[in-house]
Amino acid sequence: MSTSVKVKEKREKINWKEVKKQKVLLIWSAVFVIYGTIFCYLPLFGWLMAFQNYKPKDGFIHSTFVGMAKFKQLFLDDGFIRVIRNTLAMGVINLVSTFVMAIVFAILLNEVKSRGGKKMVQTISYLPHFLSWIIVTCILHDALSSTGIINELLMKFHVLEDPLNFFAYPKYFWWIVAFANVWKETGWNAIIYLSAITAIDTTLYEAAAIDGAGRWGRIKYITLPGIKPTIMILLLMNVGNVLNAGFEVQYLLGNGLVQSVSQTIDIYVLKWGISQADYSIGTAAGIFKSIVSIILIVIANQMAKRAGEERLF
Amino acid sequence: MKRKKLVVMLLVGSMAASMFTGCSKDATQTSNTTSSNNGESIKEFTAFFAVPGSEINDDNEIQQKIAEITGAKVKETWLTGQTAEEAVGTLIAGGEYPDFIDGSSGTPQLYEAGALVALDEYLDNYPNIKDYFTEQEWEQLRQEDGHIYWIPQFSNSYEKLMETDHNDEAFWIQTRVLKWAGYPEITTMDQYFDLIERYNEANPTMEDGMTNIQYTILCDDWRYFCLENAPLFLDGYANDGSCIVDPDTKKVIDYNTTPTAKEYFEKLNTEFQKGVVDPESFTQTYDEYIAKLSTGRVLGMIDQYWDFHFTVNDALKQQGLEDQGCNYVPLPITIKEGVQNRWHTSGDTLNVGAGLAITTSCKDVEGALQFVNDILGEEVATLRNWGVKDVDYLVDEDGVFYRTDDMRTQSSNTAYKASHACAYSYFPNWGGMSHDGINAATPALQPNEFLDSMPDNVQECLEAYNCKTFVEMLGQQDIPGPWFPIYTFAGTLTTATEGGVAWNKMSDIKHEYLPKVVMATDFESAWSDYMEVYEECNPEAFLSEVQTEVDRRIENAKKWE
Repeated sequence: MSTSVKVKEKREKINWKEVKKQKVLLIWSAVFVIYGTIFCYLPLFGWLMAFQNYKPKDGFIHSTFVGMAKFKQLFLDDGFIRVIRNTLAMGVINLVSTFVMAIVFAILLNEVKSRGGKKMVQTISYLPHFLSWIIVTCILHDALSSTGIINELLMKFHVLEDPLNFFAYPKYFWWIVAFANVWKETGWNAIIYLSAITAIDTTLYEAAAIDGAGRWGRIKYITLPGIKPTIMILLLMNVGNVLNAGFEVQYLLGNGLVQSVSQTIDIYVLKWGISQADYSIGTAAGIFKSIVSIILIVIANQMAKRAGEERLF
Repeated sequence: MKRKKLVVMLLVGSMAASMFTGCSKDATQTSNTTSSNNGESIKEFTAFFAVPGSEINDDNEIQQKIAEITGAKVKETWLTGQTAEEAVGTLIAGGEYPDFIDGSSGTPQLYEAGALVALDEYLDNYPNIKDYFTEQEWEQLRQEDGHIYWIPQFSNSYEKLMETDHNDEAFWIQTRVLKWAGYPEITTMDQYFDLIERYNEANPTMEDGMTNIQYTILCDDWRYFCLENAPLFLDGYANDGSCIVDPDTKKVIDYNTTPTAKEYFEKLNTEFQKGVVDPESFTQTYDEYIAKLSTGRVLGMIDQYWDFHFTVNDALKQQGLEDQGCNYVPLPITIKEGVQNRWHTSGDTLNVGAGLAITTSCKDVEGALQFVNDILGEEVATLRNWGVKDVDYLVDEDGVFYRTDDMRTQSSNTAYKASHACAYSYFPNWGGMSHDGINAATPALQPNEFLDSMPDNVQECLEAYNCKTFVEMLGQQDIPGPWFPIYTFAGTLTTATEGGVAWNKMSDIKHEYLPKVVMATDFESAWSDYMEVYEECNPEAFLSEVQTEVDRRIENAKKWE
């Protein structure tokens, strides 16, 4: 196995002829390298702020250098520890729920035989993806209010005596956010799995059917293994996004009563970095987030490698 | 093949070019000049005010008239869905500003970032601006570096004080409740809630069958003052905002921990358990709150008049809910009988903490100041405040302005306001009298106009209490001392000082724990939990910084005696 890989990787020698042949390709990639440099790497100079007591008036040159003091301040703040907890918790809940829901939804949809029905369900299900969070949170706020549809239903079926104010209790908040994410993104995320499913050779299904596999058997032995590479790649990419648990939804749905569970790292950065004009502490929090994300991706990638699965790098 | 390559090169080139121009292009276009029809050019400025407001149309009629007189117009934008600090912080991070700015509570950040232009050296060239404050007041506006950076807009009455509105905080109640009870004297919290409860028992619904909401509390972000600072007023102190300053001893007192504070929150807790306080109080957004008030269902609440009356009174008018007595009047409530209320403080209070400023992005500082100067003149001031003669107001033979009912209704129409009216409301503007010496500066300050423009139910209510204005409902109280109001100092605190950090933490804790305290089934233990975490914020650091400032202001004022 390892030798065959080596043979594959044996490179052709780069010579001018080759370069000339691929000139157009090279120019195109140069454009993206420039783009990446300007918009992804140059802004990294801003990380300097985290090690300074940055004042916009003084700029990078004249702001005093404080070393790791800002990071120390950050980790001594109970508030920051709390937002890390919230971000991780909501990130994981969101990841698992949207991920599982999308796969289940794609498989279920694939089993629908009527073409028209399938198209319609798919279209309707991914439309919420195009709504902005401000609209989604308004709908949620309305639906979950004490005169909203959820409370009306719960009272009609005698689950509740009095309307329950869902947003007043910290214990519900993470689940409301997860529900919002699932509602908004399931249809959209399912598209990629659906296309992966269509790529599976239909003769496999026929063969399985002849061998006596029922519907469940075909899903278990053909569909799921067939989309496993897609699942792994998307999982890896999403693990890196766990700390991007969201900003708008928590910012818009949160209130004083639930602030101890609703605030994420992004909100913390906004509050201290932007509102209180302490750009250094905001940058430090941002750096922390990036580093943790990178570590998470590397770990997940290593695990995928060990398990002999598809991986990113 | 060659042509194909050329096309590719062009594409790549233009892509790269567009990327670079994308970086260097100014996000905010400043000081544009466009030519008007008569060939004169009209300067265009931009302005951002970190307070909520509504934008007017680009072809606004009065704005155009003012532009013809002054040769300049200003495109104003307002805060939407953020706090002032967030909006200002974002501007600072971007490094580009509109020409004019009022950072509101984000003003200290703008100053710190060096975003503002020092105005003091220009002032002598602009007589209208110079006259706007006395020497002493200009002196108070100087920052640590000795320069003046912003001009507070609201604190000046020309000639004399005209007081009609109570544009401040109070316990508000719908006139229908008072009318039902035969307009009783209500002076304590107990009486207030008792009246609301009795009324609601007798009339649980509105005419259309919707149930009343007896008492709601707005608690959305910075607007949680509706819950938070009442203990200060209940003890009979004037609105120093962030703490009590005792007028006799000149000592700073923390209103969060007084016995009155506990009593107030305990009362709210009792009322919450009874179901009198709206259960959605602490989770509603400002928009939801305003929508609620606009339906006329809410019997009473604490709020600042400016926070609700613009939208709510107009909505009630448009829906015909005035006839049901859904408008609000303020009540002089204190914690117990015999305490003198100071909800209304007469006189101009200079807010030194914020004001109209010009930013370093403004390319034409002199032109901008000239505009500010020009719109303070009589002709433009009348256009801003009253509107166009014979369209928005009429003049009788004595030169007194008045309006017909149609004009009043029209002036409360949102679409009309956007297309016709242009108050430049966050530019300096005189209150009190107009420069003609006959009329008040604005319709709301004109005594007859104030009463006539009030809906019938409010007029009837005022009459029953033998009052002509909201101010008379509460009684007039003078400014307690030269430090007043001290909230202008608390507003400038940043996390750079220990007191500022404490102030931030206190506000954080209160946002979370005050609602908890009100909702708790066991008030006593919830209160002691709250007090425990509150003490951990180190409020003494904040109080001692405020004390220093109070002393400084008293010392400073002595120089001018």
